[in-house]
Amino acid sequence: MAGEKWGMVIDVDKCIGCQACVVACQAENNIPINTEDLYNQRRAVQWIRIERYWEGEFPDVKARFIPVLCQHCSDAPCEPVCPVFATYHNPEGLNVQVYNRCIGTRFCANNCPYHVRFFNFWEPSWPESLKNQLNPDVTVRSRGIMEKCTFCIQRIRRSTRDAKAEGRGVEDGARELNPACVNACPTDTLFFGDLNDPDSKVARMSAEETGEHGRGYHMLEELGTEPNVLYLKKVDKNAKEASHA
Amino acid sequence: MLQGDFQLPKRNKRTVLVLGLLGVVGLVGLAATVAVGAFVLSAWLGLPLNAFGLNDGPDQPIAFPHTVHVQDMGMDCTFCHRAVTTEAAASVPAVGLCMSCHKVIGDGLPEIEKLRGYHESGRAIDWVRVHRVPDHVHFVHESHVRFFSERDNVPASETCQLCHQDVGSMPKVEQVRSLKMGDCLDCHRENEAPTDCTACHY
Repeated sequence: MAGEKWGMVIDVDKCIGCQACVVACQAENNIPINTEDLYNQRRAVQWIRIERYWEGEFPDVKARFIPVLCQHCSDAPCEPVCPVFATYHNPEGLNVQVYNRCIGTRFCANNCPYHVRFFNFWEPSWPESLKNQLNPDVTVRSRGIMEKCTFCIQRIRRSTRDAKAEGRGVEDGARELNPACVNACPTDTLFFGDLNDPDSKVARMSAEETGEHGRGYHMLEELGTEPNVLYLKKVDKNAKEASHA
Repeated sequence: MLQGDFQLPKRNKRTVLVLGLLGVVGLVGLAATVAVGAFVLSAWLGLPLNAFGLNDGPDQPIAFPHTVHVQDMGMDCTFCHRAVTTEAAASVPAVGLCMSCHKVIGDGLPEIEKLRGYHESGRAIDWVRVHRVPDHVHFVHESHVRFFSERDNVPASETCQLCHQDVGSMPKVEQVRSLKMGDCLDCHRENEAPTDCTACHY
């Protein structure tokens, strides 16, 4: 666990907005069921969400989808505002939430421009039938604790441990390493890997796509948060023609 | 008696009795406060004070003697705690594993009869957990056992005592190390293991 810089590439062109990543994340990370009530209170917890936008006017209307998760910013606005150092940047380039340090000030969520930090306003609960599906590798966050996407660090830990036991390295893009959302995506929209490894898929993609002719962009780039999640913008034939005209 | 001589005012018997009683109650209260304070402080910093049996292991549903199995029979820790070298949890053996010997060994012993009772009814034994870290701590036996057995070049079963001490000589298993975060960190620093929060907390 040294020298890595975990990052993600999201090819928005492929996203069909199916929400499989959302469900996978919910199941993997012991996130309680979001009810209609919670949505109305703006207290729903979704470590990854699909933002939907409509483009154009009926009947010439298009739906646009953007999966939004914690951007694991290199210069994260959430980190300096925590009075107890419950959120910090770890050596692997992850923006980390330490549950046992968190005292629930919610400053971090207020300072996050992406709205990807969630506060546990209530003690989490599950219907009786779902109690046995909780993931034992993930802490169940109690009331008064902030939580957020971890890039499924429990999977990173387990796969690196297993690899070490077998005397090998972790394979780039291996299913046991990938976060649950990446594994669940049916259209290969999401890619996960080590940005510091020049041979990894994400490193190659971000090198190719961040150039002048690349499709890569960071979300809210102008804020200077230096996210570790790279988006590849939608390929739109009509838009291209329009720009040429 | 000279004038101006110091004289204790004469109190009646009742006041003396009441004052005496108050004094005794106060002393007892003070002692109790100190005792509770010492217990809380010691339990906060490490293990509870090793007095009045505060630190003893809990009673188990079956009085399982590690002494007999380890010292007398010479069994390996990993024979019963099978997952310790491969998984996060060391694992407690299923009743079936016990029965592989106790089908024929130990006829007439009351604790063995209890075990056979569990086996016949198909229930698991509800052992009382002795070593427990909080839910937000992810301790993995496998990597620790691997590290120490590689470092000292010893079989896996000889690394257990680093944290659990010699369980083989305990008639009743008790926790010996505090297993608080300071305890973990001291060892991690000593052995240059990761001290990043997310090594254990996630």
